Parts: sequence; C-alpha cells; structure tokens
Amino acid sequence: MLELYHWEPNAAAARVLITLKEKGVQFQSRYVDVLRFEQHEPAFLELNETGETPVLVRDGEAFTESSFICEYLDEAFPGAALMPEAPYDRWKARNWQKYVDDHLAAAVSALAWRAYGEAQMQGRNGAEAAVARIPFRPRRDEWTQALKGYPDDQLAKDRGRVEMTLGLVEAELEASDWLAGPSFSLADIAIFAFMNYLPRLTPDLVSAAPRTLAWLQRVSARPAVKAALALARTPDPYAVVAPGPEHIRWG
Amino acid sequence: MTVELYFFQPLGTNSGRVYLTLLEKGVDFVERELKGTEFEHLKPAYLAVNPKGQVPTLVHDGRVLTEGMNINEYIDEAFDGPALRPADPRERWRMRVWCRYADTDLGRCLMMINWNRIVPTFVGDRSLEEVEAILQTVPDPDRRRSWLAAYKQTTPPEAIEESRRRAAEGAQRVEANMRQRPWVAGGAYSLADIDLLNFCGFMSAWMPELVNDKDTPATMAWQARVNERPAVKAMRAKTNRNFTRPPAPQQATA
Repeated sequence: MLELYHWEPNAAAARVLITLKEKGVQFQSRYVDVLRFEQHEPAFLELNETGETPVLVRDGEAFTESSFICEYLDEAFPGAALMPEAPYDRWKARNWQKYVDDHLAAAVSALAWRAYGEAQMQGRNGAEAAVARIPFRPRRDEWTQALKGYPDDQLAKDRGRVEMTLGLVEAELEASDWLAGPSFSLADIAIFAFMNYLPRLTPDLVSAAPRTLAWLQRVSARPAVKAALALARTPDPYAVVAPGPEHIRWG
Repeated sequence: MTVELYFFQPLGTNSGRVYLTLLEKGVDFVERELKGTEFEHLKPAYLAVNPKGQVPTLVHDGRVLTEGMNINEYIDEAFDGPALRPADPRERWRMRVWCRYADTDLGRCLMMINWNRIVPTFVGDRSLEEVEAILQTVPDPDRRRSWLAAYKQTTPPEAIEESRRRAAEGAQRVEANMRQRPWVAGGAYSLADIDLLNFCGFMSAWMPELVNDKDTPATMAWQARVNERPAVKAMRAKTNRNFTRPPAPQQATA
C-alpha cells in the first residue's frame, strides 16, 4: 500500500502530489493539518522524527525529503518518465531540485509567511506552547522564528533570492519550453511548486519575467497539476503557508 | 573525450567526493588544482569556467557541471565502469538521503565547529581586511555572507554549540545505520559511502570523543573497510596536506 502524509497542495507537498498524479500512481491521501501541529504528534514523529511533511509510506516504510521522494517515485513506478533521458539533462534536473531545497524553498516560504502567516495563525490559541513541544530542534527554531515574524532585512534578502531565481528561469526558458531538457520533468515540478506563490507575493518581479509567467501557465494547465491542486481542503492552497526549511547557515 | 576536474587540496569534502568517484569509476581526467590559499576560485580565470566560484567543477567535453552530489550521479550515469548507485529504488533513495545528510547537515556542522582549525591556513599572513575584500567577490549572496561570517568568526557561539550537539547526534545516527547494513545505503558500496567518508571520515581523528572503537564500533569497522579500497588509497596518495601559503615577500622597511 502507498500512502502520502501531506498538508495542502502547495510547496513541498505539491511537488509530491503533482509527481504522483503525473505518474498516475494510486495512493491513499493522509491529510496532516500542519497549522494544528498534527505533524508533531507522536504518531507522525514515528514516521519522520523531524516532524516535516510530506512523508511517503510504502508497505510500512517511510520516505522523506520531497526531492528524493519524487525521484524515488519516478524510478520505482511505471508511468510517464519525469526525469530526462540524457545524463546532462538529468544532472540539470537534479540541480534545479537542489536549488529549490537549498535556496528557493526557504525564501518563498518566508515571504509567504509574511503575507499569509499572521492571518492564518489568528484564533489558533496555544501556538507557542505547541511549538515549544517540537522535539526536533531545527524545526522548533524555524517555527519559533516564524511566529515571531521574519525580520525585514531577511525578507529583503529572500526577495533578492526570488529575483535571482526568476533570472535563472528566464534564461533557461529562452532555449526550451521546460527547465531541464526537451520535456516536462521533476525540475519543472520543483520550481513550480514554490514559484506558484509568486504572482501574488512578488507581482512586480514576476511581471518582469514574461517567459516564466507563460511557463507557470503551461504547468498550471496540465491535467495532473490541476488534479493535484484540487486536493486542497482550504479555498486556496496558495494562500496558506507553513515555515520552510531552515536557511542555509553557511557553505 | 576530455574530462577535467577543478578541485581543492587537501582532497576531502566536496572536492574529495568527486575526485574519489572518478577514481572508483575508472574515468581518466585532467587535474586542475585550485589553490585555496591563493583564493584562485575567485579569480577571473576560474570564474570564466564556473561563474558561481564554487568548487569542484567538472568539465566534460566542454560542458560545465557543478554541485558535488549531482556531479557524482552524472559520473555514474555518463561513464562506463562499476555502478556506484544501488539498482533498487529504495536503496537509491536511502543513498541520496545519506549523501545530503553528509554534505548539508553533518558535514556543515563539522566545518563550523572546526573552522578555527582551518581558517589560519587560508588567511596566512593576510590581514582580515584583505581577506574580507577578497570574499566580497564571492558571486552568490548566501555563500558570500556565510564565508564572511566564517572568516570574521562572527558565527554566534550558540550556532556553534548547536553544531556540536548535532555532530554528537550525527555520530550516533551514522553508527545506528552502520549496525544495520554493511554499506551506508545497503548491500553495496555507493556514492553515500564516498560522501560519508569525505565529509565525516575525519571525525575519528579530529573528534575522537565522538567516533571511536568503544562508542561507534560499526562506524570504525566500516571506515577500515572503506580505507582498504584501492581508489581510496589512490586518493590518499594524491592528497596534499602540506599546503601552507608561501610567505609574502618582505617589505623593504621591515
């Protein structure tokens, strides 16, 4: 049996949900309400000690880290190939995914938290107490920071990172419709899952990136992407947010 | 076909992981050593190859490849030679998780903790202002900030403390894994063994309070097995540990 523990179809959860839908793999959806801190309850921590979603469970074995879950799904299941064929394009696809994990995920999450976080936490009493109970310290620190609010200078850096990413994507789309080689791949899924926040978060930056805008529309129009986003339980999965991974400290 | 590898000495961490993968795979390559002590990775000649100024870089038939872990998967896919990734998708997932844990998590903590042992070699007789001016040219803003924090030793003490805590936890995590399986990802030697060796293999020498025969016997046994591999021995033979910066010419007034 294949189960996916996930929250709303945005960010990391969107990566895995879109991948499952693109592959046409059947799975049991196990919804984890991140804003109620269900990911820090003992049952979930059994699956992933860091208390991070999404987690894929296959026959009782838990798989974490969305980049690697997606590549696992592509390698372990039949269906459309989501990694390019040529080794160089495959390298490119992995580099885009790593870029998301190292830089874009944290930057977009912080900007989205500033835009939506405060409002969504209103009326949720006991958030501080719930955060204090998070056993995995880097996660606890990240949530603590989010509840306090990110400082303006960090958000300015995050905006700079988004702008830089848009430049990279624009350059890549000059030669091809997709980010890693001639066809749609896990690279497009990874970047889309986070960039889909941007038209509302940084409209000024996105409108200066016409190829990216067209690409966002191309990806959004895919039936699998629509099906994944339709799994939302809130009115708009890109109007809610959870803290992203911790920012790279150095190196 | 030409393969060139730009790397730092002494071979280890990111440079070591790719160097060793090429040796294990049996790929002939041209060595392009960059002198870290001279900050050659930030000079125009290298930035023309890799504008990000990151090391290592692999150039294969004119194509430039960056990011150590992804270079290694590329090497395994693009060249003949023994497979360095498990065939089973589940083990391959485990391999990737360990590669990333070695470089991004445990490896970074170790660098942060041991930075005070590494910095003086690179700074040499330069003033901190001189080093700072050089580091202002690091192209990526996040990397620039982190390098500056490391050189200026402005990393907050609590961040270093947290790294120590994670390193101790990491040593036990590695040990728990090595008790379950002969190689990091499962039944066969893979890129995960290469990465763990290069990012964390020095713990037994530098942090013997965390990695030793008594507390982490499975890790020590694994390391001994890895050290017997011909490619690992070949890399050690090529590793230059005496790479201090030549003294600056004396000023006339001195």
